[in-house]
This record gives sequence, C-alpha cells and structure tokens, in this order.
Amino acid sequence: MTGSAYPESGGAEAQKGGTEVRIFFKGFVGKVADRYRKMSIQMVISLSFTAVAVVGMVFMGMSMYLRFSTTTHSMAEDNSQRVLAQVNANLESYLHRMMRVSDTMYYRVIKHTDLAEGGFQEGMDLLYEENRDSLVSIAVFDRSGGLVSAVPLSNMKSSAVPSASGWFQSAMAKMENLHFSTPHIQNLFEDPDYRYRWVVSLSRYVQLTRDGVTESGVLLVDMSFAGIEQVCQGVELTNGGYLYLMDSDGELIYHPRQQLIYAGLLEENNLAAAGYRDGTRRETFQGQARQITVKTVGYTGWKLVGVVPAQQMGADTWQTLLFGLALLLFSVFLMAFLNFRISAHITDPILRLEQAVKELEAGTENVEIEEGGCYEVQRLGHSIRSMVSTMHHLMDDIIQQESQKRRSELEVLQSQINPHFLYNTLDSVIWMTEAGRYEEAIQMVTSLARLFRISLSRGKRIIPLADELEHARHYMTIQQIRFKNKFTSQISAGPGTEGLYTLKLIVQPILENAIYHGMASAEEDGFITVAARRDGEDLVIEVADNGMGMRPEVAASLLDEDRPDVRTTGSGIGVRNVHRRIQLTFGKQYGLMIFSEPDEGTTVQIRLPALDREGLAAYEREVME
Amino acid sequence: MSKRSRNAWIQLAVLALLGGAVILTLVLPQLSDHRTPDPPLELSVIIRESDSSLWGNARLGMEQAAAELRAETRFLVLSADNDGQEQEDLLRREYEGGAGALVVVPAEPEKLAQDLRELTGKCPVVALESALEGVEDTVFPDNRALGQALARALLEDWTGGAVLLLDTAPGSFGVRDRLEGAREVLEEAGVPVQRRAARAGGLPVVLDGLAREAGTDWIMAFEPAATQGAAAAKESRGLEQPLYGVGVTTDVAAWLERGTVTAVAVWSDYAAGYLAVESAVKAARGEKNKSEPLPFSVVRGEEIYDPDNEKLLFPVAS
Repeated sequence: MTGSAYPESGGAEAQKGGTEVRIFFKGFVGKVADRYRKMSIQMVISLSFTAVAVVGMVFMGMSMYLRFSTTTHSMAEDNSQRVLAQVNANLESYLHRMMRVSDTMYYRVIKHTDLAEGGFQEGMDLLYEENRDSLVSIAVFDRSGGLVSAVPLSNMKSSAVPSASGWFQSAMAKMENLHFSTPHIQNLFEDPDYRYRWVVSLSRYVQLTRDGVTESGVLLVDMSFAGIEQVCQGVELTNGGYLYLMDSDGELIYHPRQQLIYAGLLEENNLAAAGYRDGTRRETFQGQARQITVKTVGYTGWKLVGVVPAQQMGADTWQTLLFGLALLLFSVFLMAFLNFRISAHITDPILRLEQAVKELEAGTENVEIEEGGCYEVQRLGHSIRSMVSTMHHLMDDIIQQESQKRRSELEVLQSQINPHFLYNTLDSVIWMTEAGRYEEAIQMVTSLARLFRISLSRGKRIIPLADELEHARHYMTIQQIRFKNKFTSQISAGPGTEGLYTLKLIVQPILENAIYHGMASAEEDGFITVAARRDGEDLVIEVADNGMGMRPEVAASLLDEDRPDVRTTGSGIGVRNVHRRIQLTFGKQYGLMIFSEPDEGTTVQIRLPALDREGLAAYEREVME
Repeated sequence: MSKRSRNAWIQLAVLALLGGAVILTLVLPQLSDHRTPDPPLELSVIIRESDSSLWGNARLGMEQAAAELRAETRFLVLSADNDGQEQEDLLRREYEGGAGALVVVPAEPEKLAQDLRELTGKCPVVALESALEGVEDTVFPDNRALGQALARALLEDWTGGAVLLLDTAPGSFGVRDRLEGAREVLEEAGVPVQRRAARAGGLPVVLDGLAREAGTDWIMAFEPAATQGAAAAKESRGLEQPLYGVGVTTDVAAWLERGTVTAVAVWSDYAAGYLAVESAVKAARGEKNKSEPLPFSVVRGEEIYDPDNEKLLFPVAS
C-alpha cells in the first residue's frame, strides 16, 4: 500500500508543479500581451526594431565569433602541423645521419673486414671522429654478446650483459631492420670520468667475417640523447604549446618537462596519444582542453606530438569579451536611440492628429489638422481633413434641413390657425345659430375643435393614418357647411392601411387647394375623394376632385421650388409645403404627384413609406441617432 | 528644458559613455602590451655545505622551476660545511640585498629559526632537508622513515657485527632524524650500533680509524656528503665494511655500481629543487603552497639501470 502511494503522490506533485508552471506561463504571457496592447505605437516600433536589431547583431556576432574561432583553431592547427613537419624533417635528417653511420660501418667497414686478419678499429675511429658530436659510442658484438670492437671506450663493465639488452635482442630477432631504442643510460663501458650519459641506441644485425666464415653479430650505434633533444628543444607552438616525442608504445623519448614527469610532478597523456593517428584532434586531459597534432616519424615509428592548450587560444579572451560586451551594449543602445528617434518621427504626427481629433470630439472649432510626417501619415491627415470638411458641410446641410423642416411645420400650424379660416368658420357658426340651424352649428364647432386637437396631436409630427383621415373628414365637414354642400366628399382607407402612420397635416392642404381651386367656381355636384391604400412598402393617399382641373404644366409648376411664394387662398403653397415636408422627412423618393386635366379634375397622389408601429419606432431611433 | 529633450540629452550622454567604453576596450590590449613586465623574482638558495656538486640534481630542478615561474636563482654555498653562523649571515645579507624569497638547507635549524622570526612575513623562506620553524614550506622526504628503510636494507645483508652510524651533521634535524630512524630499527633487530660524530669532509681520513676504534663491520652515512666521504675513504683505504648511504651524486652512483657503496636511500633531488623554488616563488606572490613529503626508495648497485632508477638517479635536464 505504502509502496504504491509514493509514486502516486510524486505524480500528483509533479502534475501540480506542471500546472503551476502553466499558470505562471499563461499569466506571464497574458501580462506581456496586456502590456503590448497598452503600448504606444512608438514604443512598439522602438522595441520591435531594437529587438530585431539585437537578435540580428547577436546572431551576426555569434557567427563572426564562431568563424573567428574556427579560423583561429585552423591557424593553430596549420601552425602545429607546419612546425611538426619541420621538426620531423630535422629529426628524420638526424636519424638518417645515424642510419648512414650504421650503414657505413656495416657496408664499408664490417663487410670488408675479416676479423682473423685484423680488426676494424681504424674504420670505427674515423667514423666516430666524423660524428662525435652526435655519437656516444659505436660497438660491435658477436652473437653471444661478446665485444668485438668499440669506440671511443673499449673496456666493458664487468656487470654489463649486452645479450640481455633490448637493443641486442631486437636486432637478433628482426635481422633485416634497424632498431631504435628509447632513451636510457649507456651502461656498457667503463668511463674513467664516471659519466652516465643518456643515449638512444641504434642496433642492427650484422654478419661478421672471421677466417672467411660469416657469423652473426650486432652493430650498436649509441646516439647522444642530446642530439635528439637539440632537434626538439626550443620548439614553441601557438599559445604556449609544446611538442614531445614518444615511441609507438607511448614511452617518452623527449619532453620539454621530461624530468618533472619522471619525478612524478607532472603527467602527460602520452599513453593515450600513442593510439592517435596522424592529424589533429582535440582532447581533454586533466580538465584542460587541448589541441593535439600527431605526426609519425619515418622508419622508427616514433610519434611527434604537438600540444596546444585550447584554453589559452585567446590569452586576451577577457579583453575580447569585454570589447564585445561594450560593443554590443553600445550597438544596442545606439539602435534603441535611433529607433526611438525614427519611431518618434513617424508617430509624432499621428499623435498630433489624434490630439486634433480629440479636440474635434470635444467640440473645438477651427481645429488645425496637420498634414505632416511620412507620406502615409500625410495622406491620413489629408483624409481626416477632408472628412472633417465633409462633416462640417453635412452638418450645415442637416442644420439647414432641420431649419426648413421646422419652418414648414410652423407654416402648417400657422395655416391651421389661419385667421381667415377661423373667422369664416366662426362666422358660419354665428349665422347658422341665428338661423336656428343648431344641429349644423354644433357639428361645425365640434369638427373645428376636433380639427385643432388633431393638428396639435401633442406635438407629434407623425400620427396614425386614421387620425389624419379623421382630420381631413372634419375639415371637409366644416368646408361643406361653409360652401352649402356645393360638393360632397368621400374618405376611405383601403385594406392593409390599418395601423399605419403618416406625417400629420398633409391631406388638409391638398383638400384646401381642391376646394378653393377646383370647387369654388363649380356650380353643383362637386365631388372630392380621399382614398388611402397600401402600395407594397409604400402608403399612397390620393386626393381627387372633379373640378375644373388645370393644364399639366401648371400642375407641374405647383411643386416647383423656384416658384415664388404668393400667399393667396388655394395658391398651392400648401401643396408645395406638403411635398417639401415629406421629402425632408422621408427622402426624395417620396412626396406628391399631381395629375390634372382641364375640365376633368385633379388627382394629387401622396406617397409615403408604409410605417407601422415598429417601423415608426425604428424611424424615430434613426432620427434620434 | 522639456522632459523630452532632457531625456534625449541623457540618452546621448549614455551613448557617448558606451562609445568611450568601446574605444577603451579596443585599445586596452595595446596598452597592456606596452606595459613593462614585472622584473623576475630574485631567489637565493643557501645550502649548508661548501660543495655545490652535492646539490647538482636539485639545482637542475631549481633552474627549471625558476625558468617556468620567472625567477632568477642565486646558489650560495658556505665556506665550511654546516657553519650555522655563516649561513645566518648569508641569509640576512641576501634578504637585505633584496632577495624576494629564500630557499635554505639549514645547517643548524634550531638556531636559524630564531633568526628567521625577524624575517617572517617579510621574505618567504622554504626549507630543504630539515624542518625549520617559521618557514613557508618544507621540502624533504620523511627522514625518519628513510633512515628506517636504509637500516632494513642493511638488515637484509647483515651477517653479524656492529654498525657504525656516522653522525656528520648533528645540527641538522633531517640528518639526525635519519640516523635516529636507522638506530631504532637496528637496535630493535638486536644489531649493535656505534654512533660516532665526524665531519663529512674529514671522513676520507678518519673513517678507517673510527671503524677500527668502534669495532664495526658495517657503516651507515646519512647525508650525501658523508656517503661520498665514506665511499672515498673505502676506496682509498681499502676498507671492507659494506657502506649504506643517503643521497646520490655521480660519484656515489659510480661507487654504487662498483660495489663500494652497497645501497643508498634516494629521492628525486630534481623534484626537491623544483618544488622548493616553486613553493618559494608562489609564497612570494602571495599564493599558499604546502608540499607533501617526497617519496624515496633504497637502491642497490645492481638496480641502478632499472628504468625507474635511471630516471631517478640521472636526471634528463632539458
């Protein structure tokens, strides 16, 4: 139980931890996004450009650094290989010289000497003298290790056992080869000065002739270690590098700090390097990265190893880093500075435009809208300026239209309280009362009152169609009484017109015109109809009379806006006013159309949008906005 | 001045500052290249003998360390072996002469320690061979263990008879410890020992007499000079007693090979010299350095050409 509980607990904790990280990350991203949304355009441009520039610079810097680093390594590698090739050439030259000594000794001296007839001391002496700067000794041993001849010393130590030595055994084992030993102390001959010298032994199998019979032997040429040391000494590679020499098994032959290694104060990675092939590679030894170049010395199998510490490849690395850091900071700050300036150049005109728009919003008049900055901003300023100008014109138009509308409304109201109409009506009521026609007088007063009530309609401009027709009916009632029933009238509303609304007081002026223009001079049988019908999305009210009519051009001139207003009864001003009010309210597609023929009568068609309650509400909202 | 223009000026100032930093870091490497390098540290090495050849191998190590660590060494010998007073005088003279560090093989450590107190904190001193109070570091093998190991080598060959222990440097703690270590082992093994004081330089003359007077069949010396002197006495006087010594010189190696010296306890003089100078230079430069006791071994004549012994006895000086 317990065992299974731990992993679950651990899993839950890990899940919790993961959730917390996600929440933190989301929160962080959210904050950044929020900050970004609130950031000014200048800041966005500056930060974006700077960030992109910094990324670019860092990328470029890294690329250049890598390139530089690669080139440096490559140069160090080339240098190591060149130096090693040179040392190798010198070393091979030295070794070949020693091999030539050995060859000369064998082919020119030993092979031409019969030991029974005499030794080859003289030849050896000459050869030694010729190469004494590089040689410690030349010696010939028979197959059992007995000394045949030697220079410059010829007394063998009693303790010396040549046949047990590595150089002797190698020569006897591989007769066809020359054998180079690793450095060792020459221990064969008694030195009166008690000198112990480091030598590298070159041994080979030789055939000695004694009494015409050949026998095996070993020729030993002991080279002074100092000769090899001189070849390798003082060679310096890049950045404090050095080289050392070892045999194919990794045994050190020369190292600039050889004795420290022998004393155990220093270590070298020679055993690992013995396994390296020729070429350059990198290794880490004792925590230090190093570039290793290996070159095998011809014939001997020895290996020259160049070591260049990688860490020192830039001894002034900290200076370079400091320079790079300063350059990066300078570049970043310069970029930020320039980007800030450039973005300010772009955004300042925008900010000024924004300020101008704000002032416009606040209602400031004569706001100067600048058309400066970059081309796009200039175009934007120009557009805003045009827009403001258009807006001003539109506003002027609206004000003018509203003013016209108000004036038209006022004129309508004024026409309703026309003193002549009121006087005539009341006069009619008086004489009817005096004549005892009380019923008609009452009807007339009632219609007058009803007429005024609908005219007012609590200040509404748009009233139900039914009210408008009612208004027309009362008007006709009054006028029929006044004109002693010289005409009759019929008012009707077609199907689909129920619940529709109309601009108020648009029928009465038409009727007035029909009465005064069409019926006044008629004898009898005048007939006026008012018919409302629905025509698709429109409401059409037709007022027709069978009066004297008029010529079509006269009928058309009634709606002409350029026609001078002459206020006479039935002059048509009321008709034009109605037409203007409808168009101001609902648009140019609505209004009046007059059809008339002399002696035939006149029909005035009023076209309005068919507004029901919803349509009216929508219209009023639109007007309010 | 508006806030905006003030900010612009501040930004320009920062920009100029950073530009200056770029130029400075650009020319910094050239400036540092022109700087005169510090002069090399002057270091004096004062041994307790009058013969500097006894420290030939150590000297090679010292020179190698000095070359690597940018130091110059002065190697000073006494006019007479183990002259404590002269060594003190030399030490003071070198310090007053401006030596940056001193390496000393103390002749009389006890006495020298008093004088060193005045130098403590002023000039770092590193001691070779013997422990010395008040020095920065000491470089030597475990002398008592070395003496014991040499005595054990003698015990392997011992066939009876007393052993002569040559006390040639009674003032030197190092030599004394070796002798005491050998004496302990021999006495524990029931080998009779005779301790005799003598000057190392006088051994070629007096050793024969000492051996006869003490009636000993075996001889032990505990410092290179004494080993060399005793070996020389054996060669010249034809003494038969096997000789066991300490330290190796070219002469001692030859005598070892010829059998005049049976065995020697040796350590890498080259390493000792290198470590002593390295430690002194580091101390002078304010770095802490404590050396471990040097490893040692006992080499017999027939073993000198073992590759490891060759490297130990005959330094390859690059």
